[in-house]
Amino acid sequence: MTILVTGGSKCGKSGFAESLLDNCTEPKIYLATMQPYGDEAHAAIARHREMRKQKGFQTVEQYTDLHQLQLPQHSHVLLECIGNLTANEMFRQDPAPDCADHILRGILHIRQQSESLVIVTNQVGSDGIRYDTETQRYITVIGNVNQRIAEIADAVYECVWDIPVPLKGVIS
Amino acid sequence: MILITGGAFQGKTAYLHSIRPEIKITDGADCSFNEAASAACITHYHTLIERLISGGIDPVAWTSDLCKRNRGCVVILNEIGSGIIPIEKNERIRRELTGICGCIIASHADSVIRLTCGIPAAIKGDLL
Repeated sequence: MTILVTGGSKCGKSGFAESLLDNCTEPKIYLATMQPYGDEAHAAIARHREMRKQKGFQTVEQYTDLHQLQLPQHSHVLLECIGNLTANEMFRQDPAPDCADHILRGILHIRQQSESLVIVTNQVGSDGIRYDTETQRYITVIGNVNQRIAEIADAVYECVWDIPVPLKGVIS
Repeated sequence: MILITGGAFQGKTAYLHSIRPEIKITDGADCSFNEAASAACITHYHTLIERLISGGIDPVAWTSDLCKRNRGCVVILNEIGSGIIPIEKNERIRRELTGICGCIIASHADSVIRLTCGIPAAIKGDLL
């Protein structure tokens, strides 16, 4: 089972994504892609750690190259998030020639090893602002990755003000 | 409480006019905070949040208070969080606080109506 959770900022994506794995048996893996740079990142990480406390998640940090990651058997995985992963892959020293392909390869590798996989991503293309070339390229890549994950996902939700709106499939 | 949301210029106010033509709409962009606190409907709530922040008032506490004291209020709030993270720190804070306020209002609302291209969808409760 693969589920994609999208939405804007602070709309309840993480909490909803975690709740999707509430009834799963361990091992539950929280696959974190955010590199802890600066106060705000540390604050965000602390806030998310607090939310996951007592929920039985074990945190694995992997900022790039998900295709190299080996997970315990029968893991239930929460991957958070595609926005950070895409930035990490695009703006690293030695980016892959096709970042979207590279990211998809990593996701498929994780998916193959998981009983269930919940992926949190971000809507970043709806503010109507014309950005510099690099940022436009980032918006393009993340949009492409989101579409490709949605295609292989059993269900897709968009969170709006903490309300999960189903876009594809339904999880009972 | 009712929350009407969606991106800019999606027909949120027109939708409210069509179903509650008599309702008095208070504009969060230029009303006084006291006026907003007891309004039947507050539009441009995202701008009100911005003004509260500028005025040194915590918009999260203010919004929680509104939800407790003005339970019949119709709030019109733009979705503003689906873009690139702003470079300006204050803009990031505003975006985050707007998100928190939106979640608080939605949790108190009996109905949350989201407009896209003028089409209303009830994402919580029923259409008005």
